[in-house]
Amino acid sequence: MKDAANDPLEWLLLDDARRPLPDDGFARRVALALPPARRPSPWLRPALVLGSAAVGSAAAWTFAPAGTSLAQGFLDLARLQSHTPSALAAIALALAMAVTAAVLVAEEN
Amino acid sequence: MTGRPDPADAELVLAVVVRDDREAFARLVRRHQSMVRSVLRRLARGDHGLADDLAQETFLLAWRNIRAFRYDARFSTWLYRIALNAWLSHARKRREVLLDDPDDTPEAPPPGEGIAAADRIDLERALAGLPDGERAAIAACYYADLTHEEAAEALGIPLGTVKTHILRAKARLRAKLGKEEPR
Repeated sequence: MKDAANDPLEWLLLDDARRPLPDDGFARRVALALPPARRPSPWLRPALVLGSAAVGSAAAWTFAPAGTSLAQGFLDLARLQSHTPSALAAIALALAMAVTAAVLVAEEN
Repeated sequence: MTGRPDPADAELVLAVVVRDDREAFARLVRRHQSMVRSVLRRLARGDHGLADDLAQETFLLAWRNIRAFRYDARFSTWLYRIALNAWLSHARKRREVLLDDPDDTPEAPPPGEGIAAADRIDLERALAGLPDGERAAIAACYYADLTHEEAAEALGIPLGTVKTHILRAKARLRAKLGKEEPR
């Protein structure tokens, strides 16, 4: 197809095809026509994660059995009593905080 | 001192996908605008304004769909397909108008330099007079620098048809331009 040595038409086509077109502002027009850059708020994701954790903690506290308190839970854990309702609530809170921290660190990276 | 070598297309595409990097995309535009606009000028029968509008649409579509790019293909081939589809979509909308318009001659291109600006003008006019299929085959194989096989796949026609289109187109161009076939 592209043996241009002895073929004036082949030569003309190849020469025309290889001739670079000057940009003439084309790339700038394309750049201006692009949709605006995505700029999500840097606080949006942390706020969502912390908010979810706060709502979950509030719900857990509201529906916890009577007499359950976090302070009591940590005291129970200190005495190696991990199966009381208060101790389980303290473990759940610690887990929620650990997951929240992990998500925020992953987002930061 | 040598500068940093130009990053490959795939690296620039990755920068756009991962970091929404507009400068990387601008480099892709600058690198490929000539091919895209040349192909579209051929497809649009030398209408430079229409070709540039479709070229802009091509790059905007490329930006929007860049995550669909498969890295095992050439970026230029992927762009060519988008440009071809943009032109086909435009041609489908305009088909009746184009067929009914008796004065469908292309505008004359600005004078070039060096080898025969007149030859270029003649070539542009002769290309504009080719049937759609033959013009599309010439645009794919010469202006987009695709192989016959790649052109057949991109145009959705058999390989034999591409070869026939090229042969017929060149015969017509020779007749119009007075370029004799090599012996």
